[in-house]
Amino acid sequence: MFEKLEAYLEEISHFLSGRQEREEILSEIRSHILEKAEQEYGQATEASLGEVIAAYGPARRVAEKYLDGRPIIAPAYHRYLFRYTALFFAFHFVLTVVAVVFKKSFLMFPFLYVPQMGPFESLFYLPTAFVFDLGAVTLILYFITQSKKDVKLPWPKFSLDIDEAKPSGRIIGRIIGFIAMAALTTVALLFYIRYGTLFFAHFNMAQRRPIFTPEAGQWFSLILIGLWGISAISLAIKLTVSPPWVDAVGKALSLVLLGLAFRQPFDTALVQPSPETLNRVFTLSLTITLLIICILVAIDFIKALIRIGRKKLAR
Amino acid sequence: MDPEIGNFETEMNRGFLQILVLALLEKDMYGYAMVRTIRDLGYEVEENTLYPLLRRLEKNGWVKSKWDVSEDRPRKFYGITDEGRSLRAELLGIWRKQDQILSQLTEEKNHV
Repeated sequence: MFEKLEAYLEEISHFLSGRQEREEILSEIRSHILEKAEQEYGQATEASLGEVIAAYGPARRVAEKYLDGRPIIAPAYHRYLFRYTALFFAFHFVLTVVAVVFKKSFLMFPFLYVPQMGPFESLFYLPTAFVFDLGAVTLILYFITQSKKDVKLPWPKFSLDIDEAKPSGRIIGRIIGFIAMAALTTVALLFYIRYGTLFFAHFNMAQRRPIFTPEAGQWFSLILIGLWGISAISLAIKLTVSPPWVDAVGKALSLVLLGLAFRQPFDTALVQPSPETLNRVFTLSLTITLLIICILVAIDFIKALIRIGRKKLAR
Repeated sequence: MDPEIGNFETEMNRGFLQILVLALLEKDMYGYAMVRTIRDLGYEVEENTLYPLLRRLEKNGWVKSKWDVSEDRPRKFYGITDEGRSLRAELLGIWRKQDQILSQLTEEKNHV
């Protein structure tokens, strides 16, 4: 019993696990290695076996040559992976928004369950939903691949082309955008430091009257400054290099901040007590506005993820 | 060697190795003996490529195998089947035709 040889065969066996002919494959490799060591090095010793094993190749590479190499998803279906995931996730996202707004849970036969949740919880639910959608699409494409049938899947086209990342504008445009966002963020920050809020009922600062209570005003102001700050930083990074993850990270952080906005109760946010009806209209308007912004940011976020995925696939 | 040439060579070898093995197995042989014979003919075959190839050929019925346990070390001998001979004849036909086309083209180029 040679330790090196047995350890090598054990490693190959690990990568071959599940194959019925495993023992026979290993016996044949063992026979070959021992024979070569004897024929070319005089006798089989740990040292000579080490040489022969090194020449035979790494265990994983050896094992892979016995596998038929059929991909999990056939190359012809690669492009469907992210497009279908995007569609499923868009559908999932809409259902989530409906679940949040109407405070209802949904059960869509056979496997889609959207629980009743608040806006903040939805931020944690949506990434899970995305992974689920990606997994479900992968599973479907896997079964199609394994069936070996030429299934012609429909190719839905989006109104916006997300196949290729569009150039983000000329360098001058980017510089102007960065300066504007950086100036806006700085001014807002200074304004906030001085007055404790960005939201006033009058533009005339001599008669300034805040719209929100101090707590709500601080909360919404910091979120707004955070959103502008993220835009400024994203634009700054894009001035020099434009890595694909910048948009994805920027939009993800923006979504988190928008979700935090929902943590502040809207119905008690106004500084002056207002009639019940007016308060309800305000709460509903603010909720809808924030949700629309969330949807737009989420769409950009999904597009950024798809671009990253497609670039990785293209490699 | 240029890595690009190496890739082309690997692709070309894939088909060539199948014909080579089918041609070699007119006489029953075991793996290591095949590697040695091929090397003596002036060609190198990766050992870890030969065995999976033999297994695939066997699965398709083009070669058959038998373990010989009469000596100290068991050896697995391979031999060609009738189906393997038919396949070999067809593959050789294809290879000759390809060779003919390439020869014709390169000769024409030389004349120009």
